[in-house]
Amino acid sequence: MTTTDERPTRVADPEFERKAERAEALRGFLQALPSYAYLVFFFAIPLVIVFVFSFASRSRTGRPVLSDWNLDSYAKLFQPIVAEIVARSLWLALLNTVLCLAIGYPFAYWLATRRSARYRAVLLVLVLIPFWSNFLVRTYAWRVLLGENGFVTEIGRALGLWDKLLFTQPAVFIGLLYGYLPFMVLPLYAALERMDWSLVEAARDLYASGWVAFRKVTLPLSKPGVIAGSILVFIPSLGAYVTPDILGGAKTTLLGNYIVRQFTAARNWPFGAALSFVVLVVMLIATIIYFRTDARTI
Amino acid sequence: MTVAVGLHAVTKRFGDVVAVDAVDLEIADGEFFSLLGPSGCGKTTTLRMIAGLEFPTEGSIRIFDEEVALAPPNKRPVNTVFQSYALFPHMTVAENVGFGLAMRKVPDAELRRRVGEAIELVRLGGMENRRPTQLSGGQQQRVALARALVNRPKVLLLDEPLGALDLKLRQAMQVELKDIQREVGITFVYVTHDQEEALTMSDRIGVMDAGRLLQVGTAEDIYERPANRFVADFIGETNFLDGVIVAEGHVEIGAAHTVRARTGAPVGTAVTLMLRPEKIQLHHPDEVVDGRNRLEGTVRHRLYFGDSLYYEIELKSGDTIDVRVENVPSLPRWDPGQRVAVSFHHDAADALTE
Repeated sequence: MTTTDERPTRVADPEFERKAERAEALRGFLQALPSYAYLVFFFAIPLVIVFVFSFASRSRTGRPVLSDWNLDSYAKLFQPIVAEIVARSLWLALLNTVLCLAIGYPFAYWLATRRSARYRAVLLVLVLIPFWSNFLVRTYAWRVLLGENGFVTEIGRALGLWDKLLFTQPAVFIGLLYGYLPFMVLPLYAALERMDWSLVEAARDLYASGWVAFRKVTLPLSKPGVIAGSILVFIPSLGAYVTPDILGGAKTTLLGNYIVRQFTAARNWPFGAALSFVVLVVMLIATIIYFRTDARTI
Repeated sequence: MTVAVGLHAVTKRFGDVVAVDAVDLEIADGEFFSLLGPSGCGKTTTLRMIAGLEFPTEGSIRIFDEEVALAPPNKRPVNTVFQSYALFPHMTVAENVGFGLAMRKVPDAELRRRVGEAIELVRLGGMENRRPTQLSGGQQQRVALARALVNRPKVLLLDEPLGALDLKLRQAMQVELKDIQREVGITFVYVTHDQEEALTMSDRIGVMDAGRLLQVGTAEDIYERPANRFVADFIGETNFLDGVIVAEGHVEIGAAHTVRARTGAPVGTAVTLMLRPEKIQLHHPDEVVDGRNRLEGTVRHRLYFGDSLYYEIELKSGDTIDVRVENVPSLPRWDPGQRVAVSFHHDAADALTE
């Protein structure tokens, strides 16, 4: 035996491995950097500003003063008018979510069960078409439809259903339903489209009627879509500003409009800031609880 | 014979496509029956019509003398083991297995007992509270089987249930399925494209192609006595030689040879002579072969398969045939270019007219 057997036995190097891992981490950070920067500048910092202003005091003319820090704005949250507006907003947002679900689910189901992929694509584009024009413009269009001589108003009159729509709560409600229905349909469609329909066949084979198979299999399996759609409809409905502002009247003030008014007409920035911040925190907590319970049941 | 499943002139059309074409079939009570054919032959559609997941365009389907052709799946005394198992991902193993019983409002205590028994039957004890995603493919397959069997269906329908498993597991499950079928005594209707699976497991096999049921018989029937060229070709390996009947039981191949074959066809009929590779023997060209058909040819290729050798022989007529020879030391090896004689018993040569 001579030295022809000589082979390098230790090529692997822990130091090299660590370096590679560090390089990988750095690359990931750089990839995410633009998003990070955007979120910090346009989301985190403004949020901090809102938070700071909620403790500010006001000059006699209503200008916010960044001294004499206090909790007055938070105390004002307990006024009856706030409770009334919150209740109305919650009710409308909830009603809108439930109705979007009631209308959106059957439609998404029908859409997802079309055999032809081409047909499905066309229908999906039709759902998305409203997004091609500005939301504000579309809401103004509703003003025409719901106005004194508007198409929808005339139909209601002919059927004896209503006399006046514009600037009432039903008008706001119609506007919200119209505005947020696609946000319900899309996640529902996504959930139903990837459904394994042989599971429904299996349920039918195991003595379930069509309705029971839907309740026991299709519905639970489309739950992620139901949850995503509900959140996508409920949260913006609760904070809706444009729709109630354009279609609603004085008696239909919602949370969004009330907050805006604090920053404009009422000249009470600290109160507006406190209100915004509390709504944000409450919604965040509610969403987290919703997702947590869901993670356990699915 | 009690008929478990009776199909009479069953046709299924999807638009212009005829998926199942006037199928007549009777499956006996307690039978392990396989529907065998290439993909798209209509076997799965036939099974789905028995299950009630498709409805026939024409014809009648009877399950134990009850007409069910147009009954919904939940009103039929059958259960299905699906190709992809179709286990409910949001339910545990026990909930999956108990689904059918719960739907039929079986009392809780009985439900739990029967679910336990079914899970034992497929040897999945201890897995009751797992989710299907936490199980291996073979275990999921057993859950699907238990979920169907627990309902004590009059007929169990299986749609390529072993298709997704690897070879070893598939072979083990073949034996297990057959044992379970014997144990529970339920009629099994088994759809497969795997001929080996069908041959080893079934009491009888129905071979399908292009929506038509071509032949129904035991494994031996369809292998040894195929009804036509398609069946002969689909099941196992076969040599086909074109010929003409020149005398009763005699077929002329090319102009060079005349051999004896199994046939009832009249003189002058054009036939296809079917000859399985393993039923042919090779001899030295000078060897005298008594009582068997004898042809002469030349070895073109030799393929080594481990347990056997395949020889491609060019006959004097210009046809080539494959010959399979066991790889045993007592048999000589032949080299390409060598002249040989081939022989086969006249009973091994079937003259097919279709």
